[in-house]
Amino acid sequence: MPYKKVVCFAAPLLVLALLLPMKASAQESANCLACHSSMKGRVKAASGNLIELNIDTQKFESSVHGALACTDCHIKFSDNPHSSPNAPVPQEVLSVSSKISKKYPVDPVAAAACVQCHNETYNKVLESVHGRNITVKHQTDGALCLDCHGSPHYILPAGNPGALMGRQHQVETCGKCHGNKALNEKYKMEENVMESFEESFHGRKLALGHTRVPVCSSCHGSHDIKAADDPTSPVFGNNRLKTCGKCHKGANEKFIPAITHKMPGPIPYYTEKALILLVLGVFTFIISHVLLEAFSDIRDAIFRKGGHE
Amino acid sequence: MSQTATTSTREIPKEIERFNVTFRIQHIIMFTTFLLLSFTGWGLKYAYAPGGVSSWWIRVWGGPETAGIIHRVAGVTMLLDFIWHVIYLFYLLGTKRMTINLKTTIIPLPKDIFDVVQNFLYFFGLSKEKARFGKYSYAQKFDYWAVFWGMFIIGFSGFSLAFPMLVSHIIPQFATAWIWQLLSIMHSDEALLAIVFILFWHFYNEHLKPENFPMSWLWITGKISTDTLKHHHPIEYEMLFPDAKKKED
Repeated sequence: MPYKKVVCFAAPLLVLALLLPMKASAQESANCLACHSSMKGRVKAASGNLIELNIDTQKFESSVHGALACTDCHIKFSDNPHSSPNAPVPQEVLSVSSKISKKYPVDPVAAAACVQCHNETYNKVLESVHGRNITVKHQTDGALCLDCHGSPHYILPAGNPGALMGRQHQVETCGKCHGNKALNEKYKMEENVMESFEESFHGRKLALGHTRVPVCSSCHGSHDIKAADDPTSPVFGNNRLKTCGKCHKGANEKFIPAITHKMPGPIPYYTEKALILLVLGVFTFIISHVLLEAFSDIRDAIFRKGGHE
Repeated sequence: MSQTATTSTREIPKEIERFNVTFRIQHIIMFTTFLLLSFTGWGLKYAYAPGGVSSWWIRVWGGPETAGIIHRVAGVTMLLDFIWHVIYLFYLLGTKRMTINLKTTIIPLPKDIFDVVQNFLYFFGLSKEKARFGKYSYAQKFDYWAVFWGMFIIGFSGFSLAFPMLVSHIIPQFATAWIWQLLSIMHSDEALLAIVFILFWHFYNEHLKPENFPMSWLWITGKISTDTLKHHHPIEYEMLFPDAKKKED
């Protein structure tokens, strides 16, 4: 009996005690979400940029970042109606935010906050061709975390079929820029990237649900991605011996040009045209022969009974 | 007329052997692998067919990995079947078991062109006579040589795509920039040609045509009745049974 009493009183207390340390930040986030989960639409910040107001609480909580508090990333507000939380901004976040402020004029600190947990990855990205486009060339359309992974509020685990950089969606995600005519022209990038991948055996097998066929990052690398003409790129020259060799054992110098994103050269182009002519010629002959023969058989059956030899 | 035949000096059998057992086995291997290759290859060629139908179709064949293995195994088997056929032909010719005769050969001859013209005239009602054939009509010759064309174009390109490292050794350096793309275009376009050719030409002539529907059992028995032979291959019939013709006249 006394034992039962102890259980009855202690158990709820124990549960509460376990919840308490979590509550502090969760409580704070709940305050933010109280408004932001029901707010709809976008608001224009003082700088003129549009800011999405709505947070889908359920999606946020099931994302990889669901356990984080809002203020873990939204450390300091510079351009909105809230008063800033009084926590100091860590030095590494500050230094990254100054490099990317051109791309994120409203809240560079929040965009740089990823570096607190993803330090190594973030620094790789800043050194990559995508990162340097922002930090060195000061362009606003260079890709950073959010451009590939989507909103940090809803990032899914890598293996999740819905993940933007997972197998199912990666090609589409990279295609947002690499299949964009204006960007391809601006940066003088290969224009046939998406089409040539779709046409290739890799792309076709991916569409059919092959589980080991490569997607963009399998060959080009991911966070430390290099320009195709960078000698350290995994798809530059003979680096492909190793890159292709990951799947194609014994890949040699004559094999590695097999996959390219370049426009088809004149030889495959005109051969295809010639083959199409041949196909059409043969079709015309066999289909007209078959149809005419069938008609003549019907004619014979009706008008020339028994006339067949 | 069968009475005339039986009373002739040289007995005319009811049926004769048109294809021996080796040819029949080669044909069965050829069409089995052809169907497997078509079914699995079609899904890959039209991978982006609307509604994900190709992805469903490939799952029917065990998914992309398994379908790929089926395609490669069937492809190699078909190539071996073809090589066996060619070696067998040389063996038959070398041992004089088979001789080349203009009335029985499958080699295309100028006569075949005239036969095509003759038949088209007949189709349009411009002639009362159909073309008369030897052992192989132009339609059958076309069927046969289409396989050779397919073997060289689709077979070689397919082998190269399945075993690229092996084939890369015979590819000259200057060709490496375009050869792989060329090979996949050749394989894909000519495979479409082969499938449509079989669907229209072979299926109509050997299955759908009223006189053959649903099929001739020749492919299993290897036998053709002398009656059919007389109707469809009169030149061969007359060559085999010259007395019968004399009697009839």
